[in-house]
Amino acid sequence: MKTARMALLSNVNMNFVIRLLKRQMEIYEAEGYGNELGLLMNPASSYHTFAPAYTFLVMDLMELLEHELEEQTALERVNNWFDMLESSLADTTTYYVSDAYLWGVELDVLVDKSRKQTLEQLWMQRLQRLCAEHTNVRIFPYRHLVEQMGEGNVFSPKMWYMGRILLSNDAQKRLCEAILACLEREQRVAKKVLLLDLDNTLWGGLAGEAEQSPIVLSEEHEGLAYKNLQRVILHMQRQGVLLAIVSKNNEEDALEIIRSHPHMLLREECFAAKRINWQGKHENILEIAKELNLGTDSFVFWDDNPSERELVRKMLPEVIVPDFPQSAEELAPCMAEIYEQYFAKPVLTQEDRDKTEQYAANAKRGALQKAAHSFEEYLKQLELVITRVNPAAHVERLTQMANKTNQFNLTTRRYTLQEMQEILQDENREVYLYNVADRFGDNGLVAMVIVHFPEGSEDVPVVEEFVMSCRVMGKQIENAVLQDVEQSLREAGCTKLKGIYLPTAKNKPVEMLYPELGYTQCERYPKGGAAYLAELNQVPARPYQAKVLKDATLEV
Amino acid sequence: MREQILGLIEGILNVPMGTITEDTKIADVEEWDSLAHVMIIGELESIGVSIPVEEAIELTSVAELFEKAGV
Repeated sequence: MKTARMALLSNVNMNFVIRLLKRQMEIYEAEGYGNELGLLMNPASSYHTFAPAYTFLVMDLMELLEHELEEQTALERVNNWFDMLESSLADTTTYYVSDAYLWGVELDVLVDKSRKQTLEQLWMQRLQRLCAEHTNVRIFPYRHLVEQMGEGNVFSPKMWYMGRILLSNDAQKRLCEAILACLEREQRVAKKVLLLDLDNTLWGGLAGEAEQSPIVLSEEHEGLAYKNLQRVILHMQRQGVLLAIVSKNNEEDALEIIRSHPHMLLREECFAAKRINWQGKHENILEIAKELNLGTDSFVFWDDNPSERELVRKMLPEVIVPDFPQSAEELAPCMAEIYEQYFAKPVLTQEDRDKTEQYAANAKRGALQKAAHSFEEYLKQLELVITRVNPAAHVERLTQMANKTNQFNLTTRRYTLQEMQEILQDENREVYLYNVADRFGDNGLVAMVIVHFPEGSEDVPVVEEFVMSCRVMGKQIENAVLQDVEQSLREAGCTKLKGIYLPTAKNKPVEMLYPELGYTQCERYPKGGAAYLAELNQVPARPYQAKVLKDATLEV
Repeated sequence: MREQILGLIEGILNVPMGTITEDTKIADVEEWDSLAHVMIIGELESIGVSIPVEEAIELTSVAELFEKAGV
């Protein structure tokens, strides 16, 4: 941790805490105690000369109230203190002000047992307002420390009488730890995504075996331990932690539980991303990183299976992989600790609360193609650019495409480099080559068409080769490409165009390409396949969402 | 027990082991100021050694401390 210059001010003796902290950082040493407002409000004070980056105000409410327990008087004292503190705040410092814990033996004899809470509430209301109005003021969780340790262990009458030291030695050490935790939180980069397994992690047992053994998730026994774990995770999610599922299940079985199990608290909308499949978890994690557009160094992976944890540790060392508890009752506390250790932030913004929604929306944008009605939208957002380039310089790529492409290949003719070279120089053939790019990057040269013009002037030009790389299939690129070819033929004075389909074991996907694009079958080959014909001035407009350009060298 | 108390005192004073012995006078140790003294008395409580406030304040040496602690 970087050393931060800090000050600890109090109305009780905190000098030993300061002494402990001094062993690890630069800390302001006040003269005495109880003059916190004087130091803060006097610009010439030794406190301002020291100029701390962080100022902790750990206040004892009973001392501040001077044991005055009447509500009206107490309110005046609290208001007075906060008014003065507020007037002294400087932008150059981050302030941590303790929340209230009123302690004093006389409280035990008060008949009005709610008084303690009423008085603490006066403090809390002012403190919360101060935090809301000043982004550099935060609550220091002093109360939590008392509650965890218990009054009897925190307050030490003996130390108080000896030196106005309110807290026991143990409590002072815990106070040091709490201060250091705040500073660390200020300086570290919090993790963003919690990757979760499902079986034996979010619930007990295995999904998809409901007939024989339903999953363990309920209001009792072990099932309640899993439910309580989900409660912790749900609150983490509401505070801005993004959740993602990385699980080896049949997706349907898992989703069935997530959607309709009565005790499931983490429903589908809680997850910003899901990978429920049989793929390696490290691969799924990389996909999620891409989908959410976040670095894997902001990921924490939680899985009950030690070999999965080991795999992720090995393959993605930047992902945090905490250990998994041995028994179900440890699940929820363990997750709370993970939150504290990796996700907690000094302050929570509205943005944090909205995060899952934002990210889920982004992820949906990426998965737009799944919804048929928005396919056009999806293609539009891809910002496809199809550029016809001069084929002369790409004979190797042309040969490679013709020989390697199996699916989107209408005739599946193979060529040697020499043959392709000859085709390029053949006056009776025209080669069209296309580059495809989208907003995610350049896909390279991925589509080619070879048109043959037979000798006789009566004869119709034939598309003897139409090949497209499978990585750009499914984006209506073929529509744009064929349209471009037809356009250029029209410009060259052609009125008809013939297309050929020759079936192979692999090119079934394009069997109906020509009829779908408005061509009419004109010939059937006895060995399979067919020829199709179109009148170039009658071809229908086919849908596509792409900009079609021509390389400058083709303009001549 | 005496060893344990010496170690505990050294921990509070943040001094090397062996610095504090049964012969040590409080006034001779720079780090042993009044604050440290209170902390030492407080720390003794945590191991079950309780010295009354008024007696604790008057201690001048480790030997006296042992005597009051009854160890």
